Amino acid sequence: MSTQVPEEQEQTEPDEQAAETAVQQRETPGDRRRAERDAERQERQAAAGAPAEPDEDAVLLKVFRYDPEVEGKMEPRFDDFYVPRKKGMTVLDALIYARDHFDTTLTFRHSCRQAVCGSDALFINGRQRLGCQTQISDLDDPVRVEPLPHQDVVKDLVVDMEHFYDQMHAVEPFFQPEEESGGDLEEYRQTRENREKIKMSTRCIWCGACMSSCNIAAGDNQYLGPAAINKAYRFAMDKREGENMKEHRLNVMDQEHGVWRCQTQFSCTNVCPKDIPLTEHIQELKREAVKQNLKFW
Amino acid sequence: MSQSYNRGLIEDFGRWKEFTAGMWAWILHKFTGWVLIGYLFTHIAVLSTATTGATAYTDTIQGLESLLVVRVMEVGLLAVAVFHILNGVRLLFVDLGLGLEQQDKSFYASLVVTGVIVLASVPTFLEGAF
Amino acid sequence: MAERYSSFQSGSLSWFLQRITAAFLVVVLAFHFFLLHFVNHASEVTFAGTTARMEQWGYMLTMVLFLLTATFHGVNGVYAALLNQGLTGGKKTAVKGLLAIAGLALAGQGTYLALVMAGVM
Repeated sequence: MSTQVPEEQEQTEPDEQAAETAVQQRETPGDRRRAERDAERQERQAAAGAPAEPDEDAVLLKVFRYDPEVEGKMEPRFDDFYVPRKKGMTVLDALIYARDHFDTTLTFRHSCRQAVCGSDALFINGRQRLGCQTQISDLDDPVRVEPLPHQDVVKDLVVDMEHFYDQMHAVEPFFQPEEESGGDLEEYRQTRENREKIKMSTRCIWCGACMSSCNIAAGDNQYLGPAAINKAYRFAMDKREGENMKEHRLNVMDQEHGVWRCQTQFSCTNVCPKDIPLTEHIQELKREAVKQNLKFW
Repeated sequence: MSQSYNRGLIEDFGRWKEFTAGMWAWILHKFTGWVLIGYLFTHIAVLSTATTGATAYTDTIQGLESLLVVRVMEVGLLAVAVFHILNGVRLLFVDLGLGLEQQDKSFYASLVVTGVIVLASVPTFLEGAF
Repeated sequence: MAERYSSFQSGSLSWFLQRITAAFLVVVLAFHFFLLHFVNHASEVTFAGTTARMEQWGYMLTMVLFLLTATFHGVNGVYAALLNQGLTGGKKTAVKGLLAIAGLALAGQGTYLALVMAGVM
């Protein structure tokens, strides 16, 4: 709420109006429509002059703000936004509301709004979560929204994901079958059991929540991190790639900064918005790597 | 890297209130590990008095054991060792991929059991110390 | 595929040995505490009592093995903890050397001590 000057005096009037319309009850569809219109108008007015004393039905959003390019915003701070509570409202909805009504410079990533694109992983009330997947009603007030920890902040809630993507690419995150499939354009068939085996690992949306939660990834910059290891698991366990490819993939994992750095803190498993059992997958790769090495003795 | 702001310690141990069970288990395991390896060096150093003769050895050990501080610290050492053992067993199960769903409960269990064993051992450890 | 570089170059051996020694130490450390604090009280330890125990070959071998595994487990654990903090390059090599020397010194002194206590030396 840094940019706008609130017109506080006007606040009381629409409030009374709203109370009246509420008392009238909804008798006809027309009444209801008018009531809704009035409520909406009131909401817009309230938004234009951000309420100094918010009504009870507002959720307090404390948002991390930082802009390296604007004098006076270079020092990180928290801005307060009072966003009207709505049923089913997510943290992302609230952020969008705050941006559209209070401060257009508020910056954050989002796209699909349904936990598929993985662009709005945020640090909400002390935990990595997807903004679009987190219900305001599930959170304690005030809601603290910060950019992902252990990643460089570019602006406000936007972090630099380059390092995360580098680690993901390092494990060759693509299907590499040893043999061409049968005929032209023939599909690569997988058994049901094998599909079931890798099912959870395929759910990764590259949001970076796990990497951000990992204490080891924070200290050791070379550590591949949970997401990349899970990605390797997805292909190493895929039988269609063949034994030699699996060996190659395990060799990539079997490095000092590969699976061995995992300390089973379960932080990644706890925060994964797609419920991937990351620690379990990392542990299985460790055992596979040891087994492979024992065989060559 | 683009221009960025380093949020420093607040990202790590400044956040201790938000740590989960697995994180606490790791911190305690690491802490007890440092204590134990530190103690191992001290232990061998103290026992090395045996190389200078029988009386030197007996006198050193009984001299140390007569100090109340040493006795109390031994209880601390027991706590550290028992926790490291119990949580170590928990970690071995995690490494085998067993009971990953119960990893938080098994951590709490190892804390409780450590507490019980240590409390039950206090009389034996402090016997004759006063 | 790619020719295999020799087995266990990459952290898997130390990880594996850390677990093997752990399984051994769980038992022996518990035994050690039990024997020297509950069966025999630490405050009543004398040189005569120690040598009496150490003269039993099985006991002495267990204790020496206890020392060796504990040293490895501890020193390797410290090294892993430092790697987790992002120790790399020349510093890493220096720390590795230092820890190896400290570990070997400890193991050497401890083994010598065990032989003295057993009355061999």
